[in-house]
Amino acid sequence: MLDRLKAGGPAIARQGILVAFIVFMIAFTIMSDRFMTADNLMSVFRQSAIIGVMALGVTIVVIGGNLDLSVGSMLSFATVLVVDLHDKIGPELAIPVMFLATLCLGAVNGFLVGILRLNSLIVTLGMLSVIQGLVLIYSGGQNVDIVDQQGTWFALFGRGAIFGIATPIVMFGLMALVFHVIMTTMPFGRRVYAVGGNPTASVFSGIPRSRVVFTTYLISALCVGVAAVMLGSRVMGSQNNVGQGYELQVLAAVILGGTSLLGGAGSVLRTVLGVLMLAFIQNGLILMGQPYYTQWLVTWAVIIVAVWLDVAAKRGRLLSPIA
Amino acid sequence: MTKTMRFLLAGCGTLAMATAASADTVRIGITQNNVGIDSYQTTYEQAFIAAADANPDVDVIVLDAGGDVARQISQMQDLIQQQVDAIIVWPTDGQALVPAVRNAHREGIPVIVTNSNIAEAGLDFIAAFSGPNNIQQGIYSAEMMCEALGGEGEIVQITGMPGYTTAIERQQGFDDRLAELCPDVVQLDIQPGDWNRERAQRTMETFLTRFDNIDGVYSGDDNMGVGALNAALAAGRAEGMVFIGATNFAVGYDAMERGEYWGSVYQSPVDDAEAALQTALDVLAGEDVPKLNYFDTPKITQDNMAEFDRPVF
Repeated sequence: MLDRLKAGGPAIARQGILVAFIVFMIAFTIMSDRFMTADNLMSVFRQSAIIGVMALGVTIVVIGGNLDLSVGSMLSFATVLVVDLHDKIGPELAIPVMFLATLCLGAVNGFLVGILRLNSLIVTLGMLSVIQGLVLIYSGGQNVDIVDQQGTWFALFGRGAIFGIATPIVMFGLMALVFHVIMTTMPFGRRVYAVGGNPTASVFSGIPRSRVVFTTYLISALCVGVAAVMLGSRVMGSQNNVGQGYELQVLAAVILGGTSLLGGAGSVLRTVLGVLMLAFIQNGLILMGQPYYTQWLVTWAVIIVAVWLDVAAKRGRLLSPIA
Repeated sequence: MTKTMRFLLAGCGTLAMATAASADTVRIGITQNNVGIDSYQTTYEQAFIAAADANPDVDVIVLDAGGDVARQISQMQDLIQQQVDAIIVWPTDGQALVPAVRNAHREGIPVIVTNSNIAEAGLDFIAAFSGPNNIQQGIYSAEMMCEALGGEGEIVQITGMPGYTTAIERQQGFDDRLAELCPDVVQLDIQPGDWNRERAQRTMETFLTRFDNIDGVYSGDDNMGVGALNAALAAGRAEGMVFIGATNFAVGYDAMERGEYWGSVYQSPVDDAEAALQTALDVLAGEDVPKLNYFDTPKITQDNMAEFDRPVF
């Protein structure tokens, strides 16, 4: 039967993202002579770091069986805070204060979802609005800007370079590696997979489920803090709604990377692939001179196909059993 | 939060109040789009309340829809219930609001649309529109671009959020005027920056990769324009590149002062708010008010910027 995949099928389907990624890269290289240049690749890596770092944290939340839709407005919050405090108390104090405040928001998410066991979709959707409200109360609707853009060492995070490589790329790369090691080799990583895969069984196995979920939200908030430092430094200012809609781009990258929305399965490194793929699609289409609606269409078509392949791999067939 | 907002709920004995209100004060209700979401709207509200407070004959009810169409429609209904003398509305959605505006019209309450116009189907039911002329702003930007480039060159354009009237009209005004005035200025590409500085920066970085030569950049507002400038500065290609924006922001004003930004269009939220209130008062006074009332949004460049205050947003 056509819809029934052979024994080797699911494995191929699981590599569908990688295959699609390579196909896109080859196609863009053929269609634009500017695409496969060192400058462009570096530029896309740098652009993808902000979404990328956030996606690392959300990946861990999703593997733990939950969602985090609040990261977009949390990014607005953290960026407005760090940029505003930069000129008031200096960057050396602004950064820790921002991290503390952002972690508090993560702790609220973690408390509501982890300890009180409320539905994460509702909680973080609610927090999306609550945090946006906090930003507006804090800033009074005003944009914030850093006055001395040339003189501050804060510029290092978004505009600087370490050993010749742009700082955001270094930070994104290092965090991806650290998270990968945590999730694949350390007890905490295995607990997250266990809690997301089968919450009941994990509790019977003596895993502190509440604490694990709580920690995943702290990690997500930590990542938002890092993204905020990069964003604030790159732009040297912040709008109140600068992170609006980023939660969907982040989630799209996580899904594209093959992390299951049902929890218990996924990989940090594959999320990196998802992030890069989205960034390269947007970059490649602009390089080809395609209008913006093509970018929306192609991006989301790719995501939907990715989800389909993901489900098909689990079912062992391309079409649903009922069809 | 020291806003002197007066939220009057419908039905709290407002009928009695309406009849008690003396003949020489007028009651005007305003429902705004989304106060607090940006500095422009925040400043607009403060200026509107200040202008109303300064006029002893005006009593205002200030409401905010929080960006929610449904809430704005019910606020319109509340204001109709309260039988205010006039309603000023900053549409959250020009299309969805048409029935609510028609209701007010049917009840004999004049509606003044402020800042962003209502859809064409609703124009018959409004007393007047007061706000900036975004097509004219696009025209001004095209004229500045043309002048700065001396009539020839290659440029890119970064637009606002696709689908937003303001973004569409500015682009239309710019494209049409540029083609007419300077046919030798070539637009290499047009891509959106979504009113977001970081997004505009990304778009510009890709433009810089794609095109070896870019002489000028037109952005749908200064916030995006500064993002584009950031990208060009980082790539070491800002020298000699002409940056033209619209809606002069403080960051754009500062960049102009540093000589990095060529020009923009000055749009004051204070003028916007005062024009809306004045239009409503003119309508109530029975004056012959034109349907479309544009307040002046002049060109601001490095040469004449001293005549303007630094924008508050």
